[in-house]
Parts: sequence; structure tokens; C-alpha cells
Amino acid sequence: MRIRVEAVSYRYPSGVQALQAVSLSVEPGETVAVVGENGAGKTTLARHFNGLLRPQSGTISIGDWDARQHTVAQLSSRVGYVFQSPDDQLFARSVREEVAFGPKNLGWDSERVRESVDLALAQAGLSASAGRHPYDLSPSERKFVALAATLAMRTPIVILDEPTTGLDASGVDRLTGIVAALRQAGVSLLVISHDLDFCIEHVERALVMTKGRIVADGPVKEVFLEPQLLAQAQLRQPQLIRLARGLGIPVAPSTVEEFIEGYRHQRR
Amino acid sequence: MITVQDLTYTYPGATGPALSRLSLTVPAGQVCAVIGANGAGKSTLCHALTGFIPHFFRGTLEGELRVAGLSIPDTQLAELAGTIGLVFQNPFNQITGARFSVLEEVAFGLENLGIAREEILDRCRSALELTGLQDLTDRSPYDLSGGQMQRLAIASMLAMRPRVLVLDEPTAQLDSAGTEAVFLHLRQLASTGQTTVLLVEHKLEWIAAFADRVLVLSEGSLAADGPPRQVLGSADLERAGLRPSRYTLAARRAQELGLASAAPLPVTLEQAVEFLG
Amino acid sequence: MSQGFSLYLARDSGLHRLHPLTKLSLAATLLVAAFALPGPWSSYAVFLLVLLPLAAWGKILPEFLRSVARSVLPFALSLFLIQGLLWPGGSPVAQLGPLSLKAEGLAFALASTGRILMIVSSFLLLALSTRPDLLMIALAQRGFPSTLSYIVVTTIQIVPYFQGKAQAILDAQRSRGLETEGGLRRRLRALLPLIVPLVLSSLLDVEERAIALEARAFGRRGTKTSLQVLSDSRAQSVLRWAILALAPLLLVAGLVR
Repeated sequence: MRIRVEAVSYRYPSGVQALQAVSLSVEPGETVAVVGENGAGKTTLARHFNGLLRPQSGTISIGDWDARQHTVAQLSSRVGYVFQSPDDQLFARSVREEVAFGPKNLGWDSERVRESVDLALAQAGLSASAGRHPYDLSPSERKFVALAATLAMRTPIVILDEPTTGLDASGVDRLTGIVAALRQAGVSLLVISHDLDFCIEHVERALVMTKGRIVADGPVKEVFLEPQLLAQAQLRQPQLIRLARGLGIPVAPSTVEEFIEGYRHQRR
Repeated sequence: MITVQDLTYTYPGATGPALSRLSLTVPAGQVCAVIGANGAGKSTLCHALTGFIPHFFRGTLEGELRVAGLSIPDTQLAELAGTIGLVFQNPFNQITGARFSVLEEVAFGLENLGIAREEILDRCRSALELTGLQDLTDRSPYDLSGGQMQRLAIASMLAMRPRVLVLDEPTAQLDSAGTEAVFLHLRQLASTGQTTVLLVEHKLEWIAAFADRVLVLSEGSLAADGPPRQVLGSADLERAGLRPSRYTLAARRAQELGLASAAPLPVTLEQAVEFLG
Repeated sequence: MSQGFSLYLARDSGLHRLHPLTKLSLAATLLVAAFALPGPWSSYAVFLLVLLPLAAWGKILPEFLRSVARSVLPFALSLFLIQGLLWPGGSPVAQLGPLSLKAEGLAFALASTGRILMIVSSFLLLALSTRPDLLMIALAQRGFPSTLSYIVVTTIQIVPYFQGKAQAILDAQRSRGLETEGGLRRRLRALLPLIVPLVLSSLLDVEERAIALEARAFGRRGTKTSLQVLSDSRAQSVLRWAILALAPLLLVAGLVR
């Protein structure tokens, strides 16, 4: 499902101009990283996609819908949003019940709900914890509950807001598996993150935002290869790119293998 | 400065111990990083070193636990405050809410300690300078960014001149700029040599450049202990459920393929460039 | 000062420089006076001759009048209407369709409004010209328990935080398809997914905050010092006692009458 944003501007009641005539489009199945410093407008932009915020000028279409003509609940059938803080949404007595909340709100029959919940739990590695109270789980496990809760809604577009915060290595692996499954299913994925190392490994395209504008939009390797651009948004390049630069290797490796290839090539 | 001997702790109602026969010694002035997978016991250790275990969280504690000359289980929390400081993840929850300016917020702890007014002002000023907040003294604590709030929490602790400062993932909720600022100021603090610092962190790249020593916790016990380059470049890391930084991984792969020498693996960018260059 | 529930307006004025307890004792005495002063006009006299000049001295006159009007007018209006129309028996002064406004009712409303006016405006004067944390420090110095004062002061700053949290929870649940518009039943069903996260995550926050406070020696017994110096003087101390002494005098005078 395509997202189209045309000249959207938004100013908060406090007076902060959070978005200045932003335009972009996301094709079905694309994975996009949205990076930039705090206050750059990343979350403000993402919140326009599911209707939490309404543009003051410009248009947003989610598929064939004009986002402004639909409620947040309606848009939730097309855009899933995984918030940064799972504790702001967990309320059910069991993980299963929590994950079933979204599908039930979408009006599915109980069979369809059960199937989707089972699948989401399996994808998030929570099948064994299905009957436990969410608050009995550790904070990082709760992050996966929130993730499963959105997965279960099977939306064609999914937004992940800082998904790697608080995760250790095994958590990041699990997240990687979920991202891969979503990509496989053709879901359009937007990842808001300041973990550029994670982004470069899992997305195709990157948007750099600063002060309410998109200052770069293109293939992730190209975008992350510009240190001045990232510095403008107070970001440092991913580790492997910095290493390649330090060694004078003119490639933008996203994995260790790619780096080694470039390194070998230089050695010859 | 920190002596832990066979420390075993179980949370109330838990099936197994969170810390299991943990022993370590940290000399005064050292900057010690603690890393480990989620659930390894890092936060538990932080709470134990600052007295919240056992005084706040109850549960069963066995073994020896001495910090700054005080036996933690035998000393009340109120007595520990000021000698041992704690900074944790969530900047917002560390703002008292009872003070309306940054300066007064930093002074809060000193007022509780009964320090004379003139000295309060002195200490606040130097703590704010050390954390780069000297231009924000009149600002409301709630008008700060996340990174600034965290530095305020650190400044509030520093003003109390603790002998030991424990930080539990202080940059977890901050963006890159906020993280960088916190590490910069921690490094400045460390260079004075007056405070023993114990820092729990996930960001290996930062720790590598900054810590004197790295401790790896795994399932409640110590799995590795040594200088950064040794610990962060070793296979102990994966065994403890952690992943080395990409610098280390790239260097290791190069080594495996015979493209690099058998020297100790690098853990920082500079070391990696030197290793592979 | 951040936004919050605090009404405090910073000004460079003599009123602001007064010790917080001086202003508090005025408000306390006027509270007693409200019930002890004779006739309907004395409270209006106090408002005009004492409180308005004080507000002017404090350079907060416009804001003071606005806050007073906002708090008192709606109440006064309904009081006049209700007492005027529903007073049993009595002498009518005006006709409002089938109902009539009674003089006695209006007189009663006048007296009551005067009392409310005096009480509300004296506390507003206190709130507008006194920093809540300084008031709390002043009380703590007189033996007021510090935990209680902490709760009062932080409520001012923490309420906006709760509002922010409640909004974040609302956003998250709406994003999962929760409908919040619609009939009563739907709204009621929407309450649980909104309240439970608020309570549970607030409990977690409270626990963390308690830890942070302990680490800042909040639980320490023994004397605490203060960065803020509350300016006080012998004259003010005498004034406070004089004002407070008025209260029992007024009470006795009121009872005797």
C-alpha cells in the first residue's frame, strides 16, 4: 500500500514548527529508515500516517484513502504503529489478550483473531509467555508484546519507533527476524531510529530529517556515506562505514562480509 | 573502594537468585564498565551497590558487600546517600519535581544533607560546569531535552560529592547527541580521579574508549573481568550473550581469512584502523 | 517556571518579597473573618480596601481581578438566581415571568458572595505572589512534615506530566483500533485500556522516583538547609502575630453579637 505525502506542514500548539512542507512517497513493500536528532520531526511525521496528527496544509494518502477523512481507529487497519514505550499501552491480564486487542477492534471473527494472535506470538517469540501477565515480563519482553500486538493486526504498513532501544544482542536478533518476516510479507516498513548500524543492515532507503525538513532521501548506503549530511542531523555514520573511510576503502558496507570484500579488493 | 565477596541475592518471590556468588573488587578512582545480556543481573548489582538492595527491595542477601568503607546491609539508605550516588535510565523520573529551576534542583540533595548555603552554591556551580549546564541555571528542569535532563540528574549526584557513582544505562533513552554529551562529561569526571565510577551500558563502542576495566555479568555471576581491549575482543562476550562491536567482528573475520595478523582484536575505531591498515 | 498548576506570577514587588507565612496568615485570618464580620458589606469593604491595594502593590492587579472574576462570578451568578428565586415567602422586588426575585434571597446571596469573594481572593493573592516551593520551605521550617510538602509542591509540576502520559496512552490505544467517540457504552468500554496503563506505569514511575529521592538523601533525619533565603524581619513577625491574633478576636466579637 502506497503512502503519499505532499507538502505537509505542521505546527504544534506550543508554536514549534515541526514539519515544513514535507513531501515523500513510500511504495508498497519498501523499508525506510527515518533518522535525525530529537525534535527533527520524525515522530511528528510518522504520527500523520495513522491520523494521530492532522496536517495543517498539504495532503496525506494511505493507499486510496485521504488520511484526513478517516479516524485513527479506521486508519489502524492500514497503518500499524509500534510505540517506543510499551508501558503506555499494556493493560490486559495476559499476553494473548493483549495481542488480541487490536484484531478484535478491527472486528474480525474469533477464528481469525485466534489465528493471527498465534502467528504474531510465534513471530515475536512469545508463544511460551502467552498466558502470562505482561507486567510479569521483563521490560525488553514487554517491547516484544507491543510489537506482537501490532503484528497481529496484519496491516500493510508498519511503523517502528526506536525498536532497538533497551534490547540486547539476542533481542536485536529477534527483532531482525521480525523485520525479515515483515519484508517477506511485502509490508511497507518505516523504522524511526538513531541506531544507524541497525538501519543500514535492514532497510533499503533512508530519510534524514532535521528541523522539520527532509534533507536527504535515497538508498541507505548513499545517504549514510555523507558524513556532513548526517552531522547536520547530529548523527554519526555507521561503524563499518567509518571503518572503511578510515582505511580509505570507497565502499559503504552494510555487513561485515561486504566490508571484507571491499577490504580484500583494496588489498590486492 | 568496592568489595563484593560471594554476593548472592534473590528477589522476594523469585524462583532463583539474581546474583550468584558474585565477587569483585574495585579500587578507588577506577572507571569500571559492567556489561551483560538482559536479565544478567546488572541492574540488581547497581541496586545492591547503592543499598536499595536490601533496604528498598527486600529479598534475601548473603555475602559481603562493602562500598566506600560501609557495609551496605548494615547501613541505612539515608546514611548512604551522599557517599554513594545512583543515576538510572529514565531522566524524567530523576527530577524531583519539587524545584522550579535547574540550580535549585541540583541543590536539593545538598539541602537534605544539611550543607551550608555558601557551599551549596559552590558545589552546584562546579557540578553544573562539569556537566555543561552552566548556562541553564534558571531554566525549569521540565523544559530540558532528554539528554539535558540526564546531565542534570548526573550533576545533582555529583554535587553531593559521592565517593562512588553508579550509573545504570544512563544513555539508553537518549539520542546520539545526548549519548555523546553524557559520555563526554563522564570522561571529564573520570579524569579527575576523585570518583569511582561503575557504569552499566550496552553501547560497547563507547565503553571501549572510556572504561579502565570491563566486567561481564552472565546469569548473576562474573563471566569476564579485564581491560577493555581484552574483554571486548574475546569470545567470552558471545558466551555471555553479547555481540562484539562491528570493528571487532570485521577484524576477526579478516583474521580468520588470513588477511590480518594474530594480534589482539581491536575494539575501537582507531584500534581497528591500525589493526587493518 | 514551567507550565503546571501553579498560579504564581513572578514580579519585582514588595508583596512578593514578603515572607510566605505573612501572606498565609492574612489568608487564614480572612477565612475566619468571613464568618465573623457583621453585615453584607464588610467583606466587600475588606476586598476593596485591603486586598485590591495589596494586589496593586504586588503589580498583579489585572491578573488578580481576572482570576477572582473567573472563580467567583459564575458562582455568584447562580447564587443570586437560586436564592433570589427560591427564597420561601419574602418580599418580591422583581418579576421573572411566573417567578419573582425576593429581596431577602438577594440579600442572602449578597452576603454569601461577599464572604466567598473575601476568602477566594485572599488565597488567590497568596498563590499569585508566592512561589509554592518557598511556601513549603517556610512551612517546613515551622515543622510541617517534609513528605507532605513534597507531595503538594510536586503535584503542581507533575499533573501536566500525567496529562501527557494519559494522552500518550490514548494515542497508543487509538492506534490499535480503539474507538473513543460514540455512545456511552463504547466510551465505558474504552476506559479500561486507558486507565490500567496509566495506573500501572505510574506505579512504576513512582517507585523509580522514590529511589531517586532516597539517593538525594530525602529520607535523612536531621536538619536540612535551604538554598533559598526567605527574607523575614522582626516587623513582619510582629505583623503576622497581630494578624493571627485578630482571628480569635473577630470570632469572639461575632459570637457575642
